[in-house]
Amino acid sequence: MPDRFRKIVRRAAIGVASLVSFFAPRLAAQSALPAVSAVPSVARHDVVDEVGRSVRLPVNPQRVVSLAPSLTETIYALGDDAHLVGDTTYCDYPPDAQKKTKVGGVIDPNLEEIAALHPDLVLMTKGANRLDTVRALDTLGIPSYATDPHTVDEIISSTQKLADILSVPAAGKSLADDLRKRLAELQSELKGATPRRVLFIVWLDPLISVSQKTFIADAIRQAGGISIVESSQEWPQISLEEVVHLQPEYLVLANSHTGEGQHDFAALATRPGWRNLDAVRNGRYAVVSDAVNRPSPRIVSVIEDLARQLHPELFKAPTQPQTPPANAPESPTSSLKPVSSQSQHTTACLESSCVR
Amino acid sequence: MRPLTLSRLLLRCGILAAILFVVVVIALKMGAVQVSLYGLGRDLIRVLLGHSGGLSTDYGMIVVDIRLPRILLAIVVGASLSVAGASFQALLRNPLADPYVLGVSSGAAVGSIIALLIENQLSFSPAFSGFLTPFCASIGAGAAIAAVYFLGRRDGRIDSSTLLLSGIIASSFLSAIVMFLMSTLSGGNLRGYSYWLMGSFSTLPPTSLLYLLGIGFLIAAGVIYTTASDLNLLLAGEKEAMHLGVDVHRVQIVVYIAASVLTGLAVSVSGAIGYVGLLIPHAMRLIFGSDHRMLLPASALGGAIALVIADTAARTVVAPSEIQVGAVTAVIGAPFFIYLLRRGLS
Amino acid sequence: MSTPLRMPAVDAPRANPEVRLNVEQASYVYAPNPSQAPLFTLEALSFQAKAGEIVAILGPNASGKSTLLKLISGALEPLSGRVFLNGFATHSLPPKVRAQRIALVQQESQLLFPSRVWEFVMQGRHAHSRGLHFESQEDLTIATNALTQVGAAHLSDRWMDKISGGEKQRVILARALAQQPLLLLLDEPTLHLDIGAQVDLLESLRKLAAQNRYTVVVVTHELNLAGEYADQVVLLQKGKCLRVGAPASVYQRDLLEQVFQAPLSVELTTAGRPRVTLFADK
Repeated sequence: MPDRFRKIVRRAAIGVASLVSFFAPRLAAQSALPAVSAVPSVARHDVVDEVGRSVRLPVNPQRVVSLAPSLTETIYALGDDAHLVGDTTYCDYPPDAQKKTKVGGVIDPNLEEIAALHPDLVLMTKGANRLDTVRALDTLGIPSYATDPHTVDEIISSTQKLADILSVPAAGKSLADDLRKRLAELQSELKGATPRRVLFIVWLDPLISVSQKTFIADAIRQAGGISIVESSQEWPQISLEEVVHLQPEYLVLANSHTGEGQHDFAALATRPGWRNLDAVRNGRYAVVSDAVNRPSPRIVSVIEDLARQLHPELFKAPTQPQTPPANAPESPTSSLKPVSSQSQHTTACLESSCVR
Repeated sequence: MRPLTLSRLLLRCGILAAILFVVVVIALKMGAVQVSLYGLGRDLIRVLLGHSGGLSTDYGMIVVDIRLPRILLAIVVGASLSVAGASFQALLRNPLADPYVLGVSSGAAVGSIIALLIENQLSFSPAFSGFLTPFCASIGAGAAIAAVYFLGRRDGRIDSSTLLLSGIIASSFLSAIVMFLMSTLSGGNLRGYSYWLMGSFSTLPPTSLLYLLGIGFLIAAGVIYTTASDLNLLLAGEKEAMHLGVDVHRVQIVVYIAASVLTGLAVSVSGAIGYVGLLIPHAMRLIFGSDHRMLLPASALGGAIALVIADTAARTVVAPSEIQVGAVTAVIGAPFFIYLLRRGLS
Repeated sequence: MSTPLRMPAVDAPRANPEVRLNVEQASYVYAPNPSQAPLFTLEALSFQAKAGEIVAILGPNASGKSTLLKLISGALEPLSGRVFLNGFATHSLPPKVRAQRIALVQQESQLLFPSRVWEFVMQGRHAHSRGLHFESQEDLTIATNALTQVGAAHLSDRWMDKISGGEKQRVILARALAQQPLLLLLDEPTLHLDIGAQVDLLESLRKLAAQNRYTVVVVTHELNLAGEYADQVVLLQKGKCLRVGAPASVYQRDLLEQVFQAPLSVELTTAGRPRVTLFADK
């Protein structure tokens, strides 16, 4: 009886082993399927992307998928959106981008959706996308290119490189030149001004700011400010004690399209600890659009806007009406009441800082 | 008197395998992108017969390169976790044991977070990076296994209650290390890591890794299976088993190592997917009884079926987004667990 | 047609081929660690038993009865001396071989997941299998015979957690018989049984010993049962063996009173068996 069992097991093992060895090489070969886009007649070139990968990309990509909102914006800014066949559910700027086919989130794009679009180039950025997504696309043989800008200047040069990749070099150069010109003009207007010490608030609970290595910190620098947080982590969680110790002159918050920035501050001002900050007592805060979180051409507009809020005295009278706020600007609490529009609020800030 | 015979065992396993096959076919068909069954069947046959050209481009890449490896991964992981769970339940004589109770998954978590830290320093090199996380995770798992074993010994032999306690302690400790390391990692890496922690199949494994896992499973599960009769007796208690002729110490070491290897392999590629290793053995026991000669292969097949279903749900319910598999198994598993408890854990 | 319940003889060179169990100056010491004083010492003792004999290990609590049984079963290694079964030292036998020759009947059996009676008894056949195996027809026959021999054949398809204590005891005994051992060890088997069941059990043991040529060693503190059924009695007190021999010779009044610390009287029945009567007052 044991012998019969052994014989059966032996035969089954041989059967299984032969099945496996028969099919294995085919399955292995199948996984190295040439990419759908590897039509032989397309010209390719080898490129090194911003994270150091050496990749082979089509010279003139026709079907591009973007996996980060900043990249989508950049493509539109370069005027190449006709070739954009898919983007993420978070790609909301410009509004046209919302109409493109969605392939999922930034961290978790759906590989099937991407593959179904038959892209010949997928764009990613190290700061937003996952390494696993890169690997998965490599395994599938879909060419991908990753950006990794850490400063405002790198954003601009990255935009230009991207334009080269997308085969619209002229648009790239003109956009880059324009952005650099605006920045240079801003620098000359800010000449001689003392940089304002700023706390950039990424998130309130827990309190998260940015390190000097991020492009956001660099943007602040370009806007005539300096982020007070020093950390080896990119998005450090900092303690309120540290903030009180450092006493920033301004708090900077990013506005989402729902107007969160002001509401956050109003709630903030009532909290213990925060109440003790000079910046809170004097109502010194700046709200910028959420484009500050995206390493895209719009960052220059954000920088300009922030510069005006940090150094209102250096700029000619802004286009906003100088209507005084409903409440007297003397008492600190008045400037903390939520206001309905950003421009009014900016006026209030101008007023109070003018008062000082 | 109806003892288990080889033919009865093969018949039942055949039925389970058939169910698995049907589930796999359905899973191949379902997904964010529509695929027709006919085209699917045609292409699969072409693939198996080795005709690489002629695959209709719509299906080829999606089915063969994306869905199929993912399904195969789910099969191997589901089978590994279930067999490991059944083995630990027998080894520790505890129906609440799951593959993670001895600290293996926490060890793997530490390993993979270290892999992330390493990757931070080096740039991606595609051939290597696909293996780095599973490799480091396996080492972490192995280190945890060894540590818990040495902690769990008493008078040089494995004592189940001490082992269980040391496993729980090791899990806690390693989880604390993971949390500490997570708070020191920068933002980008953290994203990917939290994904891994919960358990997910969304990373496409390189094919060679799949083979490695499959072979590892067959060897480790095979080794455990040779002790199936011994495990039946071990349930009665170590002393009784010894008097009935079981070499308790040898069986304990063999099963401990093999089941830990199974768990380590599974966790290193897909994170810690919960409830599968705990509940599938119980479900199979309800159907087939606690004879391990039937229970172990049934658990393997049952776990594969369950995880393929869970993964398919994870990637289709809110397509094109994905829920993580660990979340799906928790949502289905928890009510089933409650049901089992009320029934009295068979 | 083979008679399945009789084991083929296992040979090893020994002085007296008739002696199956030979306890030779075996002793044991329990100490938590070597530097501390020992918690319990079982002093060296010797006795021998033949096939078909029933030996009772008798004594009050904490006299070392269980320890001695563990030495005989091979679970413990004697500190000095040895325990031989047919010439082989019990402790040095590999577990499977040991289980083929020695079967231990304990009082309770805790199964994590309940099984049926026949499955339980089949566990006894594990000792005779090799690696991964499926039960053969022979195994089934042996298990059925074992159940019949203990009068529990009608329980075959019942669940272990649904039978009474006495029935469970019989099933546990059947499992031991299924091992087809040479040596059958029982640790206080009468503890939870009512009187009728106790007598039944000892009667079955006597019959089985005679029929299947087992050597039976029973640990008990039941004076009268041991006196009635044992061929040999080993009297222990506080780790010391006070006397070994036939019941009539061991059951001396002053000896028993000293060991059990209770007033009693000993009579001899017509069959030559001692009967002990306890007195309530001094």
